Amino acid sequence: MDIGSLLNALILGVSIASIWLIAALGLTIIYGAAGVINMAHGEFIMLGAYSSYMLQYYFGLPYLLCIPASFVIVAAVGLVLERGLIQYLYNRPLDTLLATYGVSLVLMQGVRLIFGSDPKYLAAPALFSSNISLGFASVSTFRVVILLVTALCVLGIWLLFYKTRFGVQVRAVMQNKEMAASFGINSSRIYMMTFALGAGLAGVAGSLFGVLAIVLPTMGASYVVQAFLMVVTGGGSLAGTVVASGVTGQLQSVFAFFSNDTFARFLIFVLIVVFLRFRPQGLFAQAGARR
Amino acid sequence: MGNLYHNKTAQWLVYAAFFIGLALIPSFVDDAFLLNQLATYGVYGMLALSISLCWGFGGILNLGQGIAFGLGAYGMAMTMQMQSQSESNPIPPFMLNNSLDALPWFWEPFSNTAAGLFLAIAVPTLFCAIFGGIMFRARVSGPFFAIMTLAMLSAFYTIILDRQPYTGGVNGITPPSALQIAGVEIDPYSSTAYLTVLGILVVATVVAKLITQSSFGLVTQAIRDDAERVRFLGYSVAGYETMIYTVSGMIAAFAGCCLVMLVQYVSPAQMDVSFSLSMVIWAAIGGRLSLLGSMCGAFLIMGAQSYLGDTFLATWLLILGGFFIIVVRFLPNGLASLLESALGLLASKPKTSAEPNGDAKPVPAE
Repeated sequence: MDIGSLLNALILGVSIASIWLIAALGLTIIYGAAGVINMAHGEFIMLGAYSSYMLQYYFGLPYLLCIPASFVIVAAVGLVLERGLIQYLYNRPLDTLLATYGVSLVLMQGVRLIFGSDPKYLAAPALFSSNISLGFASVSTFRVVILLVTALCVLGIWLLFYKTRFGVQVRAVMQNKEMAASFGINSSRIYMMTFALGAGLAGVAGSLFGVLAIVLPTMGASYVVQAFLMVVTGGGSLAGTVVASGVTGQLQSVFAFFSNDTFARFLIFVLIVVFLRFRPQGLFAQAGARR
Repeated sequence: MGNLYHNKTAQWLVYAAFFIGLALIPSFVDDAFLLNQLATYGVYGMLALSISLCWGFGGILNLGQGIAFGLGAYGMAMTMQMQSQSESNPIPPFMLNNSLDALPWFWEPFSNTAAGLFLAIAVPTLFCAIFGGIMFRARVSGPFFAIMTLAMLSAFYTIILDRQPYTGGVNGITPPSALQIAGVEIDPYSSTAYLTVLGILVVATVVAKLITQSSFGLVTQAIRDDAERVRFLGYSVAGYETMIYTVSGMIAAFAGCCLVMLVQYVSPAQMDVSFSLSMVIWAAIGGRLSLLGSMCGAFLIMGAQSYLGDTFLATWLLILGGFFIIVVRFLPNGLASLLESALGLLASKPKTSAEPNGDAKPVPAE
């Protein structure tokens, strides 16, 4: 075993971690702030990929502009969904899980009807399809782009949640909805905004994954379980999800280095179940979060 | 006079009528393929029953019922596969294709039919007991348990997909001949197969029904409504939850065996996340608080999928998803609750004021 390929695996691990993180980021916000188990998250990712495809293919928008545009489109979808359905189910967590699964079926089939079930491809600028060589290891430029976008999103959310008035309100509602409401915070509006924000982040993830893999109506299903695991392992907080994604991404890469991708995924899933046996509240449980 | 819907004698009568009706079907149906298809509906009914028992009566939302179902199905497929292997040719063809030159150790017991059938049920049941025990003891509950089962299901799905030489990978296992028990071959297209499945469904239903009416069932329903209070009353909540989860898993394992007996095929698709979720949809639409309602939900949806699915091929999932959303939003206890309120209206007319009007709050079982 040579050290170069192990280093390569470690670098790949960082990249995998960023993919897991960006997939789970929106879910963390929705779950962490509103306590909603959103099974349609994978389909939000899929919608993001299709929005980018649509904008690029029909309107000729450059790829880098597709990413924020997907954010806006999917956030709008999330907003409509929250107002139309989720807001009636906040005190029934199991039912939100089921209802959002229904939503995911509808979204998946709706997209299949509109765009067909044949795979679509997102074109990224030629610059992104090259490789960056680091001497001992080389990594594709696009994976670095994902890493950067993910880092940017995490930074943005951190600033939003911890440095703005809106963030203070969100955290107040998270800790105690009734108390926050009695201080004049419109918790219904906060839930609406956070749901839309989380959906929008899924849209960003989708426009990135659309380049990494092919765009299919069923592409969301593969992300939703692992995104959930990141959120649950992290305990529903932003820092928790970041650490959980970092560790599991790295482990996945190392396991895959010694066996193969599928087996690595199996090991990760089993390890997470074992981990949650001993720490059901996740890595960093939120202070005073309601369960 | 209370609501007829909650009358135990009436419930048993309805169940009896329902199953007698199902038992008479083979005398009217000549089409062997239709009979086979109806028998697979029995399998779906069993799955819906197991979900109803676990979720409706135990409050445990299990999105990973495909684990027990799939393990049972693989156990049965392995047994049937080994029946067609002989002394001179002990290794299944797909293993030879994957250049395996000896039978893996965990395949060995399946060359004995009785042992194979026993394992097909025992392994999934044991898995549920261990996994459930571990999870419930750690007080993982509600949506978290649902996510955990989902993770476990994905883990099983990936490992079966990955270990192609031992499990047949994505192609699954296709036993070449029908199941033989004590020298008798059970033709999957015969009424024998149909009645076998129906018999197992009846036994499972009666057992489940008796469980829900026992004091054990009452405690599980109390746990569903408020686990914390039951814990304070001194019951071992984890023990009860593990028990009901395990029984439910055992029923699902029987369902898996029956399916493979009927279709002579098993693949990782049986452990697909969407299939496990559709079991939950059947129970939710039919009415998770009613065993019969859940089964009818399964028949209704799978029937509609087979017959309307062809006409509305493109929009079927759209219709199903939309219908499911509406049921969850407006009818959380499914279609069976419509019947309950209809019968309730009939019953409550004579003396509305005499009875304390408290029956709106707790949801009684059936």
